Amino acid sequence: MKAFFLRLKQKFDFGYLVALLISLGVALLIGTVILTITGFDTGKALGALIGGSFSSKQYFGNMLEYAMVLCLCGLACDVGSRAGIFNVGGEGQLILGALFAAQIGVWLKDASPWIAIPCAALGAILVGGFYAFIPGVLKVKLKVNEVITTIMLNSVAVFICGYFSKGPWKNPSPRVVSDTSPLNRSFMFGKLIQSSNLSTAIIVSAVLTFLVWYILQKTTKGYEMRLVGDNPRFARFAGLKADRIVIIAMVISGMMCGLVGMFRVYGAAGKYQSSISNEYYFEGLMVAMIAQYQPIPTVIISLIFAILRWGAIFMEDTVGVPIQIYWIIQTAVIFCMAGEKGIRAAIHKARETRAAKREIEKRREGGAVRE
Amino acid sequence: MNDNSWSNILTVASSTLNQMLRSATPVALAALGGLMTEHAGIMNIGMDGMILMGAFTAAAVSTALASAALGIVASVIFGILVGLFFALFTVKLRSDEFIIGCALNTFAMGITVYLSRSLFDSAGISNAPHLHNISIPLIRNIPFLGSVISGHSLFVYLTWAFVILMWLFVYRTPVGFWIRASGESPETLRTAGKNPERMKWIASILCGVFCGLAGAHLSLGNLNGQFGQRMVAGRGYIAFACVIFGGANPVKVFAAALMFGFFDAIGLQLQSSKLVDPDLTSAIPYVITIIMMVYVVVSGQRRRERIAKQQLKKLELK
Amino acid sequence: MTDEIRFEHISMEFPGVLANDDISLSIKNGEVFALVGENGAGKSTLMNILYGINTPTAGNLYVRGEKITDFSPKAAIDRGIGMVHQHFMLVPSFTVAQNIVLGREPKNAGVMFDNRKAEKLTRELVKEYGLEVDPSAEVRDISVGLQQRVEILKTLYRGADILILDEPTAVLTPQETDELFDVIRRIVREKEMTVIIITHKLYEVMAISDRVGVMRQGKLIGVENTKDVDEKKLASMMVGRPVLFDQLDKTGGPGEVAIEVDDLYVADNRGLPAVRGVSLSVKKGEVLGIAAIEGNGQSELLEAITGMRKINRGHVTVCGQDATGKTPGEIRALGLSHVPEDRLSTGVDKFASVTDNLLVGKQKEKRFNLFGFHQRRSTVERYAEELYQKFDIRGAGIHTEVGSMSGGNMQKVVVAREFSFDTPVLVISQPTRGVDIGAMEFFHTRIIEQRNAGAAILLSSADLDEVFRLSDRIITLYEGKITGEFEADKITKEEIGLYMTGTGEGAKA
Repeated sequence: MKAFFLRLKQKFDFGYLVALLISLGVALLIGTVILTITGFDTGKALGALIGGSFSSKQYFGNMLEYAMVLCLCGLACDVGSRAGIFNVGGEGQLILGALFAAQIGVWLKDASPWIAIPCAALGAILVGGFYAFIPGVLKVKLKVNEVITTIMLNSVAVFICGYFSKGPWKNPSPRVVSDTSPLNRSFMFGKLIQSSNLSTAIIVSAVLTFLVWYILQKTTKGYEMRLVGDNPRFARFAGLKADRIVIIAMVISGMMCGLVGMFRVYGAAGKYQSSISNEYYFEGLMVAMIAQYQPIPTVIISLIFAILRWGAIFMEDTVGVPIQIYWIIQTAVIFCMAGEKGIRAAIHKARETRAAKREIEKRREGGAVRE
Repeated sequence: MNDNSWSNILTVASSTLNQMLRSATPVALAALGGLMTEHAGIMNIGMDGMILMGAFTAAAVSTALASAALGIVASVIFGILVGLFFALFTVKLRSDEFIIGCALNTFAMGITVYLSRSLFDSAGISNAPHLHNISIPLIRNIPFLGSVISGHSLFVYLTWAFVILMWLFVYRTPVGFWIRASGESPETLRTAGKNPERMKWIASILCGVFCGLAGAHLSLGNLNGQFGQRMVAGRGYIAFACVIFGGANPVKVFAAALMFGFFDAIGLQLQSSKLVDPDLTSAIPYVITIIMMVYVVVSGQRRRERIAKQQLKKLELK
Repeated sequence: MTDEIRFEHISMEFPGVLANDDISLSIKNGEVFALVGENGAGKSTLMNILYGINTPTAGNLYVRGEKITDFSPKAAIDRGIGMVHQHFMLVPSFTVAQNIVLGREPKNAGVMFDNRKAEKLTRELVKEYGLEVDPSAEVRDISVGLQQRVEILKTLYRGADILILDEPTAVLTPQETDELFDVIRRIVREKEMTVIIITHKLYEVMAISDRVGVMRQGKLIGVENTKDVDEKKLASMMVGRPVLFDQLDKTGGPGEVAIEVDDLYVADNRGLPAVRGVSLSVKKGEVLGIAAIEGNGQSELLEAITGMRKINRGHVTVCGQDATGKTPGEIRALGLSHVPEDRLSTGVDKFASVTDNLLVGKQKEKRFNLFGFHQRRSTVERYAEELYQKFDIRGAGIHTEVGSMSGGNMQKVVVAREFSFDTPVLVISQPTRGVDIGAMEFFHTRIIEQRNAGAAILLSSADLDEVFRLSDRIITLYEGKITGEFEADKITKEEIGLYMTGTGEGAKA
């Protein structure tokens, strides 16, 4: 029995859980203060923020779809960071994946869904993977900081998508400015909740989530990735192909982002449009950071933030509070967690110094008697 | 070639160079701040957010108090606060600089638009009192050069002064030496009786101030008193790349910013000429930034190899 | 002579370690005081207290009779205390003059840094103390010996009359050491300074000091007049018993050649040639020891053999197969294991558990994999537990994070893993650095066990005693070249010392 609890303690980081809950509380408090200062009905607003996602089937479905997007993006970040590379370029990989998936659907509009959908998925995966391969190689071979290159590539991707969706791949209808042609309806994933964004894509996502968790936590490959991420020099010393593992992790991360783009198109939007992702990847990145790049917390925190996000949308509709309060609360959680870590370290150090002093004094007294 | 086409070329060239100076300025201002944190050994990718908040503060205060000057002062004060906030986490609490930088950028997007919407009932601000372009007497009459140099916002000229002042500060004052030592070898500074953490705080505050100014320039100098959610457009990251590219030396960093400005201007020129699609030309500065980053690394490696070879020769002569 | 410095019941505790335990010590004005002790005996900690870097957990410190309450380097500098740290405290991109004046810069018009004056002041100091160095050279471009001069000049610039030198000769050539000692003698004689020198080289104590204090495991064991003691006496005080390890039982003779190095050239991190034309061979069932002063190419040589560093010229053969230019993984597959010099940066994943660190290199073995990809955690843990017991690793079990363990136990994890491969070739670097004496014996026994079982072992250690104790043959390296090769039982330490410093017969040839 004791052994069981010991194992439980090893598996769960209770300190982290407490920190997360406190940070969430403080962040909501900060949100409340801001709401009060800016003159909103705080009680009503908070109620909407927390309960909004459950106010209707449609909100609930949208919330789940959003949680799916956050979770996959967060996991994509987890995969990279596990091997020691930060994929900040998921946004670009995502929208390029969406664009290509949409256009492949347009090209194959007369084909059977059994051909078109896999082709679109494959296209999105390849494009996303390739777009992550570039900064991955630059980092490994030339030691170019991947944070800057991926962020720059995000901007480049936005313009590439802008060019194609306004130019060669534009919906020929003159009323449309910058969307691709709508997909053949038979290509769309089935809706799980009518008139919401929630589609069968979430089932695929659940399988994918399980796979990522399994690979990272339970397989020899995941173990090797962690070694490379923790100490690349040691990994090389121990005979691992560290460079290759980093690039592969980055490419997988990019592939996942590309696939998310495809899900957005085939599950919800039905075409590529510039609003296909509203910096969703960056929110996924935030989620991953709060989850300290661990898969299971990533899933849970995605759900929490999805609830807050659609709650915030509901709050904007009903109470009129700008939805941006959601970002404020989200980043407040990060600042709180970071601060909590620093404060805890400081307290720990102070406590140890005090204990050391007591210990020495005790001995001194003992010594004095001897003398 | 007749006179007409010559004068056409000159006009295009002067307007390109004029635009280059214009485009380089916000990046250069932010990079001047970024090079401080770089010298102090803090990886600062939160500059984008710092600029955005500076831009909002300037536009909002300028609107509220009907004074562009007060808007700029407010953005400086706000810059100090942001610098303190950034240092609190990165220096005092020893948080991950990357996480704090990312969070700061997202926080900036949230808080500025939230405040804009709840204070001004709109996601952006327009028609705030702004700075007018300065037409410099005498210089404006010089052919070609006049139209390049004259007629910019005050910030453009201020930036030139700041570059020189910053160079003097970093390389010619004791505090500049201490800040550089705090990043390169903090323990050395500590044993010399100076507190490296304090230097990092100073660097962070200066970075906040310059990013605040960059923001004020964007909203009140570059645009006519406007604020928008996406107005920074990754300039904070580009500034970071310029800092790396220029080896954190103010003059070289400014040169890097000018290079960025040049390509931005070329892009805008192409755009107005309608030869190339505007989306593709807009991507140029970002592609250039990536190439810049690669170049820095590769040329650094080459340089090391060359030095090593020279040293080898010296040894062989012995 | 009066008491310049007095420590009274000073104790210093770091988390989990009592680095200084109730130390009382007086140092007199105008003397050269040597503080000796093994790694981790607490010498540097005590001196860091004097220099204000550490605030003692308990006890009092008096400088010239004044009780110290504010512990900071700044206050210490103001009191005329200067310290030359083991790891130099210099800003590499600054010039010599800029480093010397750092913190007390001469100013122009009250604000601007006056570089010209800084260089002038430096030149004056150089002249006054005869420590020749170019004030305008960047510190990263000058040699280690010169860097140390800059450190000393720095303390003199700050007006120090108490000078602390922390292991000043660790990186110096014998000539540089002699020059340093001349300087110390001169400043003590002419400027009436007090010098405290931390070292673990006993012949240096005899050569330079007036009095000597011996520390062991955080305690001050004794203080003696140097002329009243000899090296043997000091050595036994340092280790707490006469330095007589049990005789190691070496059995069997050398077999076939397992490592062959032919005319090897390797560059260091700055691209300078560190290994210059080294050829050697190690046979099965023997230990070849490398004796060299730190920074003479031994690290680069071992890294090149194991694939961690690029080979510029020459060949390496491991177990009869060419290993030149191969990756560490490929060379391991030829039958080589490697205990690296710096375990924290190269030898472990400090964030991972003991289990995960012990598994590295074996993770692909069939017994640990279900269907070729699923890691069988229970088998892995059983295996780790077995090694944990066998190598007597002491910690909170196999789930302990390696980064939180002591140096000795961390090294046991590394050795347990590397020895568990049972390869015919072992390359071992600094096996007992930062390890206590009890564990040292353990490692030595294990290494000889491997030798007796027929492994070819290439060993490098900064501890000359260790090299002598374990090796069958010894080669000396000086400035990247082999200066001599000896049967271990046919040469004395003193003779080896000559070859290590490039003054032996071999170097003349």
